[in-house]
Amino acid sequence: MNMLEFAMQVFRANMMDIPLINPIVEELMSVPWLNLVVALILWRPFFAVVVMPGLVVIMLYLLYIIWFERKLTARIQWRVGPLEVFRPLRGAIQALADGLRYFFQESIVHREAHRPYFVQLPILAFIPVLLPIALIPAGNVVGIKTPYAIPLFIALLSLIPITIIAIGWASNSRFAFIGSVREALMYVAYEIPFIIAAISMIYLYGSADPYVAVEKQTIPGALLNPVACLVFLISMLMATSRLPFEIPEADQEIAFGPFVEYSGMLFGLVMVLAYEKLYLMSLLFTILFLAGWSGPQLAVLGDINAPLWLVVKTLIVISILSIVRSMYARYRIDQALRFGFSWILAFSIIALAIGVVLGYEGGI
Amino acid sequence: MKEIALDVAVEPPKEFESLFLPLPKEYVEDVYRKDEFLILVGPQHPGSGHMRLIVRVRGDVIQEVIPDPGYVHRAIEKLAENRLYVQNIPLVERPAIMDSANLNLGYVRAIEEAMDIEVPERAKYLRTILAELCRIGTHLYDAAILAVFLGHTTGFMYPFGIRELICESLVKMTGARFTSSFIIPGGVRRDVEKATLDWVYWATFAIEKRLKSFERIFIRNPTVIARLKDVGVLSKREAIEFGVVGPFLRASGVEYDVRKVEPYEAYDRVDWEIVVADEGDSYSRFLVRVNEVAQSLRIIRQCIAEIPEGRVISDQICEDNDIRGEFLDRLADLVLPSGEYTTLTEAARGSVVYTIVSDGESNVPYRFRIVTPGWLYLRGFMESLRGERLADLQAIYGSFGYFPPEADR
Amino acid sequence: MKAEFKAKKLEILKMHIDVIREAFKQAFAPDRVTVEYPRERKKFPPNFRGLIFCEREKCISCFRCAHICPANAIQIYFHDKAWPGIDYTKCIFCHFCVDSCPTGALRATKIHDVAFATMDEMKLRATQTTKPPEVFREDSVTVDYSVDERGWSLVRVKERDELVVEAPPPRLKRRVSYCADPESCLGCRLCVEYCPSDAISVDRKANKLRILEEKCTGCGICVRNCPMKVLELREVR
Repeated sequence: MNMLEFAMQVFRANMMDIPLINPIVEELMSVPWLNLVVALILWRPFFAVVVMPGLVVIMLYLLYIIWFERKLTARIQWRVGPLEVFRPLRGAIQALADGLRYFFQESIVHREAHRPYFVQLPILAFIPVLLPIALIPAGNVVGIKTPYAIPLFIALLSLIPITIIAIGWASNSRFAFIGSVREALMYVAYEIPFIIAAISMIYLYGSADPYVAVEKQTIPGALLNPVACLVFLISMLMATSRLPFEIPEADQEIAFGPFVEYSGMLFGLVMVLAYEKLYLMSLLFTILFLAGWSGPQLAVLGDINAPLWLVVKTLIVISILSIVRSMYARYRIDQALRFGFSWILAFSIIALAIGVVLGYEGGI
Repeated sequence: MKEIALDVAVEPPKEFESLFLPLPKEYVEDVYRKDEFLILVGPQHPGSGHMRLIVRVRGDVIQEVIPDPGYVHRAIEKLAENRLYVQNIPLVERPAIMDSANLNLGYVRAIEEAMDIEVPERAKYLRTILAELCRIGTHLYDAAILAVFLGHTTGFMYPFGIRELICESLVKMTGARFTSSFIIPGGVRRDVEKATLDWVYWATFAIEKRLKSFERIFIRNPTVIARLKDVGVLSKREAIEFGVVGPFLRASGVEYDVRKVEPYEAYDRVDWEIVVADEGDSYSRFLVRVNEVAQSLRIIRQCIAEIPEGRVISDQICEDNDIRGEFLDRLADLVLPSGEYTTLTEAARGSVVYTIVSDGESNVPYRFRIVTPGWLYLRGFMESLRGERLADLQAIYGSFGYFPPEADR
Repeated sequence: MKAEFKAKKLEILKMHIDVIREAFKQAFAPDRVTVEYPRERKKFPPNFRGLIFCEREKCISCFRCAHICPANAIQIYFHDKAWPGIDYTKCIFCHFCVDSCPTGALRATKIHDVAFATMDEMKLRATQTTKPPEVFREDSVTVDYSVDERGWSLVRVKERDELVVEAPPPRLKRRVSYCADPESCLGCRLCVEYCPSDAISVDRKANKLRILEEKCTGCGICVRNCPMKVLELREVR
């Protein structure tokens, strides 16, 4: 048989089963070329990576989170936030307007910059950011199914700060250099407690497989090991440069750090890096601490239940975390390092001890 | 390990040749030879006002900071030589527009001292109310700038929201939101009704209530305290030696306030206290100003409760109680007797010195000198930065409340 | 009084909780004080310093407004009388001119949000300052601030605020010029040259000045320019 029939066979073997739209799918499967496209979209690995919880959801999440964060911050600050872009919706598509504006703005590459790195690094930085999505499972919708998904995920995440440091180096400017050094120091500060907190949960569940982790969470992991939950949350704030640890990108001190020379679409790309890293770490947080994709299942939605629950829980976590931005000022770099290496490290070791004790003899 | 020193001719990078730096070339070469780093926190920087600071860092520690003020110099002293005395009133108000009543007051007091004009009681109380309202407005503005330099955007929005009540009080009393040009030689321009003063009275309570929210979310915020405590310490001896003025002097332990030492207007008739702190670090400079806001609210309430009835403009200037319609006839042709007249006023950021030299014949000043508090404490500000970390530059800048348009005039 | 701060370790935790509680309280029940301009408009008091409007009939062409302006923004335009035109690239809204006008012809309006298409349009001529300006209004709600011991809140009323207010009654009655000290008069006849309404004439026989009270507008130009300063203004009985 030729390539197309082989592909069709592979797709059909692993298609998603959503009773709600099954009649439409059956209709489309009879059309000659369209059935290949539909089968591809509904093929489970493709669906996980591209649609949910993958790229399409990431784009919608970006629109949502920028609007929500601005509105929530404004509400706390006695004001209204973006309002005018589409007034019936009270300004909900402000992020879309901003994104379109970046398309029309000129991306200036200044003379002293190292031109190939300066232009290509924001795009290359997306590789460690988007690759871990292939590993995150949601029910039986998964890109690459492996029992070592959690450590692989953490390893891929730890490549992102290297790209940010490289972006600062490529800009060849004093403030970018200071920003890169601060990013390197923050990387050292948060990475070890973060890894120890994740490892303590692996000990707790007895396995590095996300499927095992979600199955064993009859009580959510946040209640089983609250210390690890706290350490993970604070490491998330440090890793994604959110206040109170917005140190590499301190707007008032070093004029936006490694990203100071970027403008136009390149700036749009580097802006979303931090948000996407936050999304990924929240996905891991949901799987480890909030019982992942489990929840009341609707029969009519079939296979899409699990990814939907995962995404909804992740969005709730991120929405609540956005409030920290309006509460705290920014720490200094030496205070953050001291904090990372004394208090947070101590808490993470306590979390490890709790995980080992509770997970003795092969997990709870 | 044996150390060998090689005398290599150091070339500073090309970017420094194209910029105009007010530094000698030997200084730049010395910096590069010593393996230090020159950072230009310039006028176009989200963390400096409108002033260029040339910061010399070794690693993360600041060695010294050289200021380059004058970016917003507007030649107010020279402009004043070509305008009538009363036309200079809007001019001298504008170095620090939130503080306009205090700057206005200093200038008008110099003219009144020269011409020996007696100001009626009600006018004195009204001037005091305006001066204290502007002082609160300036302290709130400085607190907001400190918050934004630390990255705390909520701490930036709250004082500006509270300041809206101050601007509204000024609108109801004078007609303009900040630079009201309301104080003229002899008194004030209009009388203020009782309903307006009652509104201002209740506004002080509303301001206090909103300040409590600000206190919970910013002043007692552990991250803010961690950023500001023990940072940029000026001891008592250093503060006096470097000529620091105003609340920043009081935060280093010196009890000096012009309103208590040489009282003017109604300050010796109301009951208030000087706020002093001992440590001299950034947090105590900030706390001194927060407590001064509470004292100013107290002064305003007492002034409104005790304000006497009477004229609002001296009968040496105008026969009726109202100068409307006669402004030019009475005030445009003032000629000061020859001599030099100096006044000292406590503006929000420190003492402001006005000197008018008159030749006895012309209706414009012969020489006009204004020294604003920003210029006076600039040296202390630069000295307090030595030995601090780079991120502390913004924290200390915000704690001093340095305002370049006021310092550069 | 001393301004100081001391905290023990446990108090720091309490301060963190205070911060979090304040933020959550504001997130659910905000103390919002935004005026959603241009659908709502803030109410201004009657003495608000907005755009300046000149009433044609009351103006006596005394040029006091142009003289006192600190920013040199008023220029006089000559038609049958002389009226002020205001250059809004220079005007600082100090309203010294309004305070100097003896008949109350110049007065303030509550209009503050104006837009001009080009810089040249900002220099208003006398024909434009003497007409009430045309305002395009989008607002339907007026907002006012109310303060009491409970705090500050916004009060919204569904009506429009009038922008061009009633003129306060002029303080000064009509004045005319007269010679206070005829003995010191030089006879230089500068006052005759300066008078814009031809109200002063010389009586050659008596060699005296004669001021016609019907023609005198009380502008005071002769008073300001007399070298011996013998002319003064007095109210008409």
